[in-house]
Order: sequence, then structure tokens, then C-alpha cells
Amino acid sequence: MKTNQIGTTMMALAAALLPTIVLGQAQQTPIPEEPSISPQISLNGTAIGTLEYHSPRIVLPSGIKSSSSRINLSDSALMLGISERLYRKGGIGSFVIGGTTTDSDKSPSGTEFFLHKLYLDYQTHVLEGYIGRTDTGTQLVDFPTLRGDDLNEFVNVLNPFSSGENIQEHRYTNQATVVLNRNLRSFLNLHAQNLISSSQNTVGQGGINSYGVNFQYQELAAMQALKKVPLWGFGYERQTPGSGFGGANNILYGGIVYNIAPDPVDRIDLRLQDIYGFGNTTSSFVNVTDTFRAPANTIAASLRWLHSPFGKPGHQISLTAGYKSYTNIRDANTLALALTGVKRLGSGFDLVLQYTYQHRQAAYAAVYSGVRDEHSIQLGFVFNFNHTFNQHLGPRRSLMNLQHQYIPD
Amino acid sequence: MEVTKQNGRRKFLSKLASIAGTMGAGMALGDRSSAGPKENTSPTGWPSQLVINETAPKWNPRDMPKPGEKIHEFNIEVTIEKIEILPLEEHHFYTFNKSMPGPEIRVKEGDWVKVNLTNKTHDFHTIHWHGIYVPCEMDGVPLGTQYPVGYNQTFTYLWRAQPAGTHFYHCHNMTNMHIQAGLYGALIIEPYDGEDIVQKTFPYERDYTLVLSEVDTEFLREQMNEMLMMGEMMDAMNGSKKLMAKMDGHMMGWFANKEAFLKAIKDGWVPPYHQSRTGPAMRVEPNFFLINGRPYPMTEHMHIKQGENIRVRLINAGILVHNMHLHGHDFWHVCTDGSPLATPVRMNTVPVFAGSTVDIMIQGTNPGGWHFHDHSDISLMNNGKSPGGMMTMLMYEDAEEAGFKFKEIIALDS
Repeated sequence: MKTNQIGTTMMALAAALLPTIVLGQAQQTPIPEEPSISPQISLNGTAIGTLEYHSPRIVLPSGIKSSSSRINLSDSALMLGISERLYRKGGIGSFVIGGTTTDSDKSPSGTEFFLHKLYLDYQTHVLEGYIGRTDTGTQLVDFPTLRGDDLNEFVNVLNPFSSGENIQEHRYTNQATVVLNRNLRSFLNLHAQNLISSSQNTVGQGGINSYGVNFQYQELAAMQALKKVPLWGFGYERQTPGSGFGGANNILYGGIVYNIAPDPVDRIDLRLQDIYGFGNTTSSFVNVTDTFRAPANTIAASLRWLHSPFGKPGHQISLTAGYKSYTNIRDANTLALALTGVKRLGSGFDLVLQYTYQHRQAAYAAVYSGVRDEHSIQLGFVFNFNHTFNQHLGPRRSLMNLQHQYIPD
Repeated sequence: MEVTKQNGRRKFLSKLASIAGTMGAGMALGDRSSAGPKENTSPTGWPSQLVINETAPKWNPRDMPKPGEKIHEFNIEVTIEKIEILPLEEHHFYTFNKSMPGPEIRVKEGDWVKVNLTNKTHDFHTIHWHGIYVPCEMDGVPLGTQYPVGYNQTFTYLWRAQPAGTHFYHCHNMTNMHIQAGLYGALIIEPYDGEDIVQKTFPYERDYTLVLSEVDTEFLREQMNEMLMMGEMMDAMNGSKKLMAKMDGHMMGWFANKEAFLKAIKDGWVPPYHQSRTGPAMRVEPNFFLINGRPYPMTEHMHIKQGENIRVRLINAGILVHNMHLHGHDFWHVCTDGSPLATPVRMNTVPVFAGSTVDIMIQGTNPGGWHFHDHSDISLMNNGKSPGGMMTMLMYEDAEEAGFKFKEIIALDS
């Protein structure tokens, strides 16, 4: 009887609320559209969980020494992409929102959620334009480490406005970008960025504080394992810290993926990237932010063997190394390497093992609590998936679009 | 010889005219052949008795052409084309000679047909001659009766045209996808002069071929891309002995026999139907329904005059049953799968099953402009919007003389 009463009350409440919920709109829009068409919805996720041992003990971004072991859930992400075809031929409009976990010593759990994707995208055959937060416009080559932020200071163009507490601030940024392409193989990226300004030293520099251009060539997805050079590119970026922080930094960067053994079953590839910064006058390290903007030359390289029995990925072993030398600061070089093994257990589900080592010279180590040599070993699982609901838009770089005239479907 | 849908039929017919002379009356026929009307006929000329051995070929399918026998030779090329099936509705399709459907092949019963199929795509293809008594090697079943035709390869089909009637041809590699992709066409084998009992019973001058099909544009795009990616990779490996050595059947899902298949699974190969590789099944849900490769309102009309008979050949190349209904008329269902029925059946809605053909005779008895469409109304939509899909019109050319002025209105859901 009591259950029934509760049920009746709940139903009445639901009946009262439902019209509001159904008819309500999240936000006012310039021209309300009712009803909206059913858009294409893509759900993309990656979960990474590792059991880790660090020697010496982990130094948190704030400089506090933590434990030598931990469960690390950082760099896990969930994204939602909404797309629809626009009225006339050639247009697709999209909206993407997503968050990723990040290391944090402010949170009791050691993990926080960071909004790493939130952008609107317009694309036609020859042009793509997007505004919002997404991958920095300077990313060229992906390296086969366990997490995208492993060896961060070697593989990414760094954010000179970051406090260093959130490593994702180097990988994601607010930006307005236009990408022009030729045959959907060659891409020219022009962007103006608002690099996230979290350092107290750079307060007031949170506007458009970086802009640049890059060119990238990508081979067909089907040919990635068979062409000698499936990807290459280069770019120029100008970051604009104020004169009180060393002034503007010019950065030239370039990268290439080279298949030493093109083979769909046993692929061996080499990835190389160089990032060269000049112009900023920072000549000593007071805090971590200084290491992000001081002129330096950074080289990253990886050697990877991907074994794909029957043409499907089975396991992968890679060695990734990075070396960074500062132009104006002595005894501040650093190098790192990561040895990574992945065993595929199912579609998108992997068992992973990674050993990393980093050596810092004294001046550089000083801003990392004096830790000069650091080792870590990580063991865990990775799960990633990508699923599309209401599918009615095809991938832009599909073979048919690439080889048989473009159709924006 | 390039054959396109638009001019193909004329070329074929002109060939027919030339071959008619060469064949003459002396062409050797098998035991079952006859040059004139059958003896067991009704007063209308329609055969009235069951001929129990009628399913046997007239000519031994394994024969080869003899000196002096005329051979029709056609070159058919598979390419990928962009086709706008409706304004603003453009998709990639596989095509035979750049048209969808492929060119209509029309020959006389007993003629030899030689088709050179060349593949210009990175997928594999064959041609299956649906309903024809071909020798087994010419049946076009990939890895069943022949190796599929790869990129830039040519395979030659040779067979004798029998039995007479309305048939079709289609690619038999990944049939569901490849037919949706457009690889089908009409194949009409006309009986010898004087043998066409439909013509004798319902004299006609005009006939129309309507090939029915459906397409799920999402399924098609995904599957075509997947196959082309695999094919592109295979073709790139083709030039290297080292890489070819690694391309065993596992990559393609090809095995010598059932034992080899079971051994591969034991060795760790996971078949593509397993949920660990596919998740839930991908459903095929057609969103466009086509007559001769186009949905309404882009379908082409049929024409008739008062007192005229027209023959309509319905070919269902698709995966669904289509119940074709004609407004304002009854018609005679005269043939199924190319073969005359025991007796013509009067009806106004005829089911055309997947893989089947139906011939109907329409008599010009009610002047006007009449809809002819699939009465499975789900097929009367374009991407879920009515009207559209599998519908065309029967137009009386002399309707105005009978006092009816037809004004066509294209009305689409707004």
C-alpha cells in the first residue's frame, strides 16, 4: 500500500515535471529550431588504469613528495560528438564536448576531470573551421607511449603560461582554427590560440597568446603500414609571453613517421620530431613555468614494432626517447625514455606495461625538487571505443572520398 | 566496346539485327527445340499442357561455339561512380559501364554471349547470370565456381543464351552489398521468332524493363569503405613477394576447406562474425527504393495508347518483396522467372520476390495517368519521407483524345 502511494505521488510529480522537461530548451538560441532533426551522435572513450611504482617517490606538481606507488587513472577520457549535414552540398556542422582525467594533488582521489574538448566545427570538402577547446594546433606526430602526456616535455610544444600543475594544459587549448586541404591528404592549419594561462606569473596574458601555421601530409589509412612515409609535417608558432617573462618565443617544429619495414603483419616504424624555440630571453629557472618558455631544442624519437597477425593488431613494443637542451641555460639538459609493451586482448582492450626513465641535469632538476633520476614502472589495462549512433555522415577521409571524388556524406 | 545504359540497348539490338541474318533457319537445335508454336496450345495460343522436361536445357551448356556461329561480345567494366539518385542525394556506387543498373543485355535464345568483365576497383567482383543455364565455370560465384576478379583483371564469360525470358545479372561477391552498390542489370533472352507465346497471345510492340532494388546508403558506404581499404592494401602488397607471402587466407577470411577453417580458429584466428570483432550485428535498413536505379520522382514513365498492349518486365534485384500495384487497371501476369505461367493470371497487384522476375501485360483500356508502385508502402519513401521510392507512372499518350488532361504534380513532403 505504501509502495503504491509512493508510486502514485512519483507519477504525479513526473506528470507535472515532464512537459517542462520535454518542452524546455537548454539555452536560448538565436533562431529556435523545433523540432530539431535527429543528429549523428558519436561516443568516444578511453579508460586507462595502471598500478605504478616510482623511484624515488612521486613528486607532485606542487613539489610535495608523495608515495612511491599509486593507482593512476589519468588521461582517461570521454567525448561526445554531435553532427548534422547542413542544407546544401558540402557542409557538415558538429559540436564536440569531452573531459579527461588528470593528475591532481588538490583532489583527495589524486584525479580531477578536465574539460579538454568543447568546440564547434564547420567543414566542407576543402575547408574545416573550428572554434573552442581541442588539441593544440601544434600537434604533428603521435608517439606510442602509454599515455598521451608521457614524456610531455619532449613530444609537445609547451605552454609558457602553464603553472605546470595540469599537464593537459600543454595538449589542449582554446583556439580558432582554419584547416585547408588538398585532396584530403595535405593539410594547411592556421590557428590563433588562447593557451590556458594558469601561472600566477602570467596573469593577464590569457587572450590570444599564440598563433601559427603548420603543414601536414597524411597517407591513406589503408596505406599507413605500407607506404614508406605515411605522415610528415612542419610548422611555425609564435607564443607571446610579455616582455617581463622573456618576451615572445618563436618555435619551429617538424616531424615524420617513417616505415623501416612496411608490412601489415610486422610493421616497424620510426617517429621523429624536433621542436626548436628561440627569441625568449629566459636564462634561468625560478619555477616550472620558466622551463616551458626558455629557448630549447627538443628531439623525440620512437622505434615501434607492431605485430598484426591476420592483419589485426596483436601486440606492440616500442621504445620512445626524448632529449631537450636549453639554449641559454647551462646544466639544464634532460633526457627520457619509455619502453612500452601492449598486448591486445580484445577489440580496443589492451594489457599494457611501461617502464620510463628520466634524467635531469642540476639546473633543470632544481625545479623538480632536486630529483635528477626518476624511474617508474606501470602495469594496467586500456580500453578505448568509438561508436556512432544515428549514423548518416561518413568519415571525411574515407577511401571513397579520397579516391573517387568527395561526397560530404 | 563501351556499352552505356543509354545507348547500350540500341547497340545490342543492332547486333541482334545482324545476327538474325547469320543465324537463318538452319541453326542446330537440341531435341527439345522447335521453330514454331508448341502443339499443346489453347485456342489463344497459350500452352495448355504441362511439359515435364521443360526445365532441361535445349543445348548442352558445356558445348563450345562451333565455327560459323555468331557470338555477341560485350566489354563490361566495373568502376566507382558518384550518382545523384535524387537532387542533392549523391552517393558512391559500383557500376557496370558507369550506369546503374548496368546495360541491358538483350539477345535471342540460342545466341552465344561473351562478356569480358574488367575490374577497375580495389574490391573483388564477378557476374552471376541469374536464371541462365550456363556451364558451372561461368556461374560467377566467387571462390565457388571461379576466383573473384581483382583490380585491373579481366575475366571472360562465355555461354549460350537459354532459357528464353526475363532474367538479370549481378555481381555475386558479397552479394547483398554489391547489389545495393549497383552491380546488377537486366538480361532479356528473346524466344525465336514465332515462339513468343506472350507476343502471340497479347500482340505488343513496346516493352519496358523495370529493375527493382533498394539501398541502405549508410550500410553501403560503411561496407564499401571497409572492402576498399582491405582491397587497396592487398593490391599494394601484390607487387612484393615478401609481403605476398604474409597474405594468407586468414587476412581475407579465405580457407581451402572446412578443416583449414577450423584449424585457423584453433590457431587463434577470430572469425569476423564473432561478437568480439563486430559487436552487435549491423542491420540493413534500406532508405531508398529504386526503379532502374532511381526513386520517385526521378523514375521514368511508361507509355501506352488506348487499345495497345505493353509488356512490362519486372526484375527484383533487391532483398525485399515488392508488391507492384497498378491503379485503374487489371493486368495479366504472364511469366515468372522468364517462364510462361500455366495460364495468365488476371490481377492488379503482383508480388515480385527477391531474385525473381515477373512479366505482366498491360492493356490500354482506361485513359489517364496512372500510378504504378510497390504497395508495401514502406518502399514508397525517400529516406523515410513519403511520397517517393518505388513508384512510376503509366501515361496514356492519347489521354487527351479521350477527354482527360493529365497534369503532373511533383508533391513532396515539406
